[in-house]
Amino acid sequence: MSDGGRESERGPEKPAPQRKPGGEEFARAFVKVAVAQICESEGFQSFQQSALETLSDVTVRYIRDIGKTAHVYANQAGRTESNVFDIIQGLEDLGLAQGFLGASDIEHCLASSGTVRELAQYVGESEQIPFAYSLPQFPVVKDRKLTPSFLQIGEEPPGEHIPAWLPAFPDPGTYAQSSTPNDRTIELKMAKIEQENQRRKPERSLLNVNQWLASNELEGPSSVDAGDAAKAKQAAAKAKQAAESNPFLAAPLQYGEKEVSSVVLPAKTKLSNDSTTGNPISKYHGMDNHVSVLEAFAPNIEAMKSGLRDSEEGHKKVLLNTRPTVQFKLGSGKKYLGSMLDSSPQNKSFEVNESWFGRLNEKDDKKRRAEQILKESMGNLQELDHL
Amino acid sequence: MNQNQHQQASDGRHDDDAALSDFLASLMDYTPTIPDELVEHYLAKSGFQCPDVRLIRLVAVATQKFVSEVASDALQQCKARQAAVVKDKRDKQQKDKRLILTMEDLSRSLRELSIVFY
Repeated sequence: MSDGGRESERGPEKPAPQRKPGGEEFARAFVKVAVAQICESEGFQSFQQSALETLSDVTVRYIRDIGKTAHVYANQAGRTESNVFDIIQGLEDLGLAQGFLGASDIEHCLASSGTVRELAQYVGESEQIPFAYSLPQFPVVKDRKLTPSFLQIGEEPPGEHIPAWLPAFPDPGTYAQSSTPNDRTIELKMAKIEQENQRRKPERSLLNVNQWLASNELEGPSSVDAGDAAKAKQAAAKAKQAAESNPFLAAPLQYGEKEVSSVVLPAKTKLSNDSTTGNPISKYHGMDNHVSVLEAFAPNIEAMKSGLRDSEEGHKKVLLNTRPTVQFKLGSGKKYLGSMLDSSPQNKSFEVNESWFGRLNEKDDKKRRAEQILKESMGNLQELDHL
Repeated sequence: MNQNQHQQASDGRHDDDAALSDFLASLMDYTPTIPDELVEHYLAKSGFQCPDVRLIRLVAVATQKFVSEVASDALQQCKARQAAVVKDKRDKQQKDKRLILTMEDLSRSLRELSIVFY
């Protein structure tokens, strides 16, 4: 074929981007190549991608249909293995829509079926187009490493009720509480988190905000610590649920083991608001039951998000902690007020708004301000969601 | 006479069987475009069990025939459309020589086989 024909072939080296490569993608890529080769031999010079995918999908279904019908016919005849007549019957069934010679015959011998004759004709006429790539035998069956039994280890099973031919229990060190120092476990978890960050954009953006804030040296250390602690806690939650090779290895951090920044407990109604608005962070971690973690870090997460948003608007905002020396500038008061009036469903916030405008420079108002900013950010988030 | 007829009938059947086995043997010479491993993988997914390689080849050839029929149908549609356009503008004949498999042509040719997709 000339060069013009060659360029229409698509190599299978690139599966669909940003999708987890599985066994299905592997086979599909090859089917696409084969279908493209067949079309090219018919005379097509190029394809629409969607058309090629559709046609390869239809081809896969066709193969599976033949297999299914052949299998059904074999079972009907009381066999488990199909033979050539089962396949011919399957082909006839599938070819009924198109029609073949002898389809209307009630009793005809399968060996002289029209489908077979048409196939023989096709084989005789068409030229062979060898497949462009060499395929390995797939799917590759991995050798399973079975847990050895008590007998194989030479251990005695703990307890009379356990027979010795059962697989042995895992090493108690794998599931008991580990006494390793917290730093190491946190480092391990940090490594795991770094890997998963590549797939989690919101996490990355938060990370960027953290770094940006750290570089600006505004509440740098405390925010980074809070971020780390947040990450560590998330890692602990994730490590619990991750289906890794040995999930027993990750020992979760108990409450009070690690020093974390004290939590600004928001109102209970706000909490329910948090979980129902579908906070994207919580969704990604799948922490449906871990409201405590969300609760603990909602202020940080919200403040970080508002910080992210505000950075786009060009205002400076600092991560809010209960640590002293919090400076922040506000944007145009109008905007916030509008958003707050729009979205906050609670009467309480209205009162707080007014009091906030009334008493700007009083120290005992800091907590209320903190809550206010959180509510604002929640409100803005909802606005964004509405958009 | 009856025996003679019976003999002929069984001979006929014998011929058919012979033809079939010859065809299967010839399949081993013909290499279908769709590789055997791929076909085996998808057949295994639907529960088809057979140790015979010739049957795998048979399915592969049948699929190849199916795809080439669909492709040739789509090609005809594409050429017909190009010819229709040429009636309006003579320039198109020089420019649009490339035959592209489009969704529209594909859906039309698949429709003939009562395969509908949305």
